[in-house]
Formats: sequence, C-alpha cells, structure tokens
Amino acid sequence: MAIIEAKNLVKEYKTIIKDKGILGYIKHLFKPKYEKFTAVDGINFEINEGELVGYIGENGAGKSTTIKMLTGILTPTSGEVIVNGLVPYKSRIENNKNIGAVFGQKTQLWWDLPVIESFRLIKKMYKIPEGEYRKNLKKFTELLDLEDLLEKQVKNLSLGQKMRCEIAATFLHNPKIVYLDEPTIGLDVLVKENIRRFIKNINKEKNTTVILTTHDVKDIEEVCDRIILIDKGKIIFDGEKQKFKDNYGKNIKAELIVKDKVGNMAEKINSENFTITEESNELIKLKFSHEKTTIMNVMEEISKYCKVLDIHMQESELEDILKEIYKKG
Amino acid sequence: MKNVLRNISLYISFIIASIKEMLIYRLDCIVGILSQTLTQVVEIIFIWIVFQNTSNLAGWSYEQILLLYGITLMSISVCSFLFDATYDLGPVFIREGEFDKLLLRPVHPLISVLGSSKDFVSFGYLVIGLIITIMMFTKLAIPITFWLIIKLLFFIIIGGLILGGIETIFSVAAFWTYRSNEVVWTFYRVYTLTQYPIDIYSGFVKILITFILPFAFVAYYPTMDYLGFNKYMIWLSPIVAIIIWIIAIGVWNWALKKYRSTGT
Ligand SMILES: Nc1ncnc2c1ncn2[C@@H]1O[C@H](COP(=O)(O)OP(=O)(O)OP(=O)(O)O)[C@@H](O)[C@H]1O
Ligand SMILES: [Mg+2]
Repeated sequence: MAIIEAKNLVKEYKTIIKDKGILGYIKHLFKPKYEKFTAVDGINFEINEGELVGYIGENGAGKSTTIKMLTGILTPTSGEVIVNGLVPYKSRIENNKNIGAVFGQKTQLWWDLPVIESFRLIKKMYKIPEGEYRKNLKKFTELLDLEDLLEKQVKNLSLGQKMRCEIAATFLHNPKIVYLDEPTIGLDVLVKENIRRFIKNINKEKNTTVILTTHDVKDIEEVCDRIILIDKGKIIFDGEKQKFKDNYGKNIKAELIVKDKVGNMAEKINSENFTITEESNELIKLKFSHEKTTIMNVMEEISKYCKVLDIHMQESELEDILKEIYKKG
Repeated sequence: MKNVLRNISLYISFIIASIKEMLIYRLDCIVGILSQTLTQVVEIIFIWIVFQNTSNLAGWSYEQILLLYGITLMSISVCSFLFDATYDLGPVFIREGEFDKLLLRPVHPLISVLGSSKDFVSFGYLVIGLIITIMMFTKLAIPITFWLIIKLLFFIIIGGLILGGIETIFSVAAFWTYRSNEVVWTFYRVYTLTQYPIDIYSGFVKILITFILPFAFVAYYPTMDYLGFNKYMIWLSPIVAIIIWIIAIGVWNWALKKYRSTGT
C-alpha cells in the first residue's frame, strides 16, 4: 500500500504583473493584473512505506511547491494528494502528527532558548511518551553528536550544528514520513556525511519514509534508492536509482594505457562511435555510448595504431548525467 | 472540549518559553519598562492639566477618570503580555516565511503565533495601573473588599481578552499585507479613546466603541460598576469576550484557508 499518493497534482501561482514607473503602480492599485504560472503541472506518483526517495530537479522545477502540497501547507489548484490515508490540506493538523519536515535553513527551534528546551516543547506538542522521548534523545545525541550542543542557545550555533539539532527535532516524535527540503545546503562534508548516515540509520530501524530534495548529488547517491526527476513542473523520470543511471548514463568513459603509439590518434581515427577526449604517448582517454558500440570494437580500432596495455572503464556519475539532462533543458 | 484545553495548555507552554526567551534580554526589558512608564506619567500629567480648568468631564470627576485610566492600563498590560505577537504576524511570520513552519506543527497556528508573544514591557503598565487604581479607590472612599479584588482581577483579564480578540481579528490583514502591524496599531489608537469616559464622545463614536469594536466593555463598564453608576452592563463583558473570540477564530480560519491556496 502506498503511503503517499499524488494524482494529477497541479499548483498554479498567481503573480501580479506591474507596469513600469509610478503610473504603473497607480494603475495596479485600481486594476491589478495577474498572470498564472504553473509551478507543478499534473504530477503522479506513489511512494511506499519505508522508501528513500530523492526528489530532484533544477532550480525552480517545482520541488518545494510539491513538498508544500504534500505537507498540506499549500492547497493544490487541482488533483489529489493522499498521505497515510489523509488529505493533508484538509486534515492538516492530524496529518502533521505523522510527519516531520525540514525546509532549508529555516529552523523550527526556539531561537533564543537552549536546544533542549525546544526538544521539550516538541515533546509536549507531539505528546511523545516520556520513555520514547528519552530513548530517542539518547540515540540522536549519540548519532548526531549533540552532547555539547543541547544546553546552547540556538542562535549561537553554527549552521552545521543547527542543522544537526534540526534533524534531531524532526525525527523526535517518530514520524512516519519525513520531508527534507535541501537539508544539506551550506554544510561541510563531515556534517553532510553525518546527516546522511543518520537518515539511513533511522530509515532502517523505523522504516521511516523519506523524501529528500537536494542539489548535492552525493546525498542522492548515498541515501536514496529511488529518484523522481522533475522538470518545469512535470515528472520526467521516476524509478530506481540504478535504472536512472542505466537509462541516462549511456556514456562510458574509458582510459587506455598504451605503448608504441605513432602520431596523433585523434587525427587518424575519425570514428562516429567514440570520441577521444585526451591523449598523450602513454594514455588515451575516450568516451563512447553503449548504444553505438562496445569496448571490444573500440579496442580493435585503437590497437591498429598502438599496443594497449591496460583498460580502465568508468560509468557516468549521477552528476554528469544530471548536468547533461539539465543542459538539454 | 478536551481539544480546547489541550490547545490552551500548549499556549501556556509557548508563553512560558517566550518569557524565558525574553528574560535573556534583561537590559532591553528594563529599558522598555522604564520608557513605557515614562509615557504613562506624561499622560497622567496631561489629564491633570485638563482638570485644572474644569471640575468634571461629562459628569466624571478627576479621581473617577484616573480610576478608569488605571483599570484600562491593567487590561492593556494583560493584552500585550498575552497577545502581543498579533503585531508580528505580517512583518515577522509571513514576510520571513516563518509562518509555513508553524503550519507543520500539530497545533493550530494561531496558538503558535499568539504563544510567541513576549511583551514584558507592558509589565510597567500593570504596576502603574495598579498604583493608580488603589490610590483612586482610596480617594473615592470605595472600600477594597475581597469581593472587589476578585471582581477587579476577573474583569481585568476579561478586558485583556476582549482587546486581544479584537487585535487578533485585525491581524488577519497580515495574510494580504506584511504591514498588518500598522493595521492593528490603528485600531489600537481607537482603543485609547476609551481611556476616557465614553460619555464625552458623540453618538457615532459611542456606538462604534460599544457595539462595533466593543472597547467599552474592557474598562468603562467595569469602572461604572465599581463607581456604582451601572451595575448591569459589566456582566456582559465575559459574553462579549466569548463572542469576540468566536469571531476571531472564525475570521482567522477563513483567512488561513485563503492564504494556503495562494501561497504568498
Ligand atoms: N508564492 C509564489 N508565488 C509565485 N510563484 C512562485 C511562488 N513560489 C514559487 N513560485 C515559482 O514556482 C516555481 C517553482 O518553485 P519551487 O520553489 O517549487 O522550485 P524548487 O524546485 O524548489 O526550486 P529550488 O531548487 O530553487 O528550491 C518557480 O518558478 C518559482 O518562481
Ligand atoms: Mg526549493
């Protein structure tokens, strides 16, 4: 059974258009003109309990808008959302009991209070039983290394320290679903690592469903099993991470260690099937597509002009794939 | 009912958290209290000057007016202490995007917003109001009985609730304009009219502050009761408070629904 279901989900924003100059402003005052902008354009997906989903796309693709609709902050223009049997924008408060969410750098903690006070208020808000609260607090403190932070005022924490506390606060009430909208933005490598490990750990233990948006491909690489790619409000890919790579990652990079090379290879070989990107007397770097040829054929061609000693092949990284998709637009 | 109690209990927790937050800024607090106290002293001097030329204002003596004034101050103090955050809804919560965060809590966002009130400064009002009130009761030879103290306490809180409810209603302007604090402030200015007996105003203003914005129930009718002028109207105050809050919550829910479909 799907825990999150979106059917033909659409969100249109109305934006005000103002003409230039003071006159434009005055005109606007009497007769405001609006322009419709479709940020999310009829998306469909089902997410099962315990899935770790990476929700990715370019800036402005509609990720945050989707998440706001899933959490019930925003009412969809049309379409349906069902989360854990509830319609979030209709039963928002009921739905909020089952979910946790992080939105970028906005904190849900009380700014001027020590971190632990915020945790206590959260405990009260979500009616977390004492035993469960203690257990989680102990565990999270260990996993996220919060020991020295709990008594500090939130406003005095560094970005990374704050985000670690924020993540702990989000998972404190054992939410069934957690939405993380760019949780790793602006953090250093170690903190990112720490947070990724934490998410995976909790997912494994409690089968928490996690939807993660990020611009750091490593987050996806390390945390997510499934990718949903959205572009201009429409889903253009939805499936397993490996399938995503297979689908889009047709380009293979290869490095050949060679001997007895004569002259410039790129001039001699003018094949449509592969391109040489770099070459020296000992090394040739090239790129080819799965669809057009195989490594065997490439080797055959190359070895007409030199002796190949060693090959090193590499699949495209997620990052390269995304770059290419985004570039095509 | 259980739900209402739970919301109130959470509201109290939030207010306590706000107080803790406020206490961190001790100096701000002290400076604020002092400056507000000073403005009140200036107002009292103003009333005193007015009475140099007349012995009464619409049938009210100097002492009676000051009593009304003192009671008003105490209700204002309760209101700003409990509901001060209505001013922040536009410029802080909605403009800075803080509001979306409140929508993720398993609590009505109104509780979260009001619960972030931390106006300690109004504590000065409470003290001055109390001093004036006690002084005037003595001067007017009204015996301060146990019953009077209970009544006073109860109606000061009711007065604060009426004011807070009206502020809350006007704070929904925040869902359309960030400058909602100015809207709330404007109506607050209307309120200060009732620091004086409503008898001095024309029919229109009287109707406005009795029925439309029922400020008269905050301090005017209770004071009439303590002075023995009118023994009945005071008992409408709690009913007015309840009606105001029912309207406030209704208006809020309606505005919230609008807000969530535009997403601005
Ligand atoms: N309140 C709003 N009013 C009008 N337009 C909006 C509003 N919020 C977002 N948009 C527009 O909707 C589109 C999608 O925005 P959204 O924030 O969902 O993108 P995103 O995928 O989260 O991008 P990013 O990676 O930059 O966070 C953008 O073009 C944005 O300008
Ligand atoms: Mg976003």
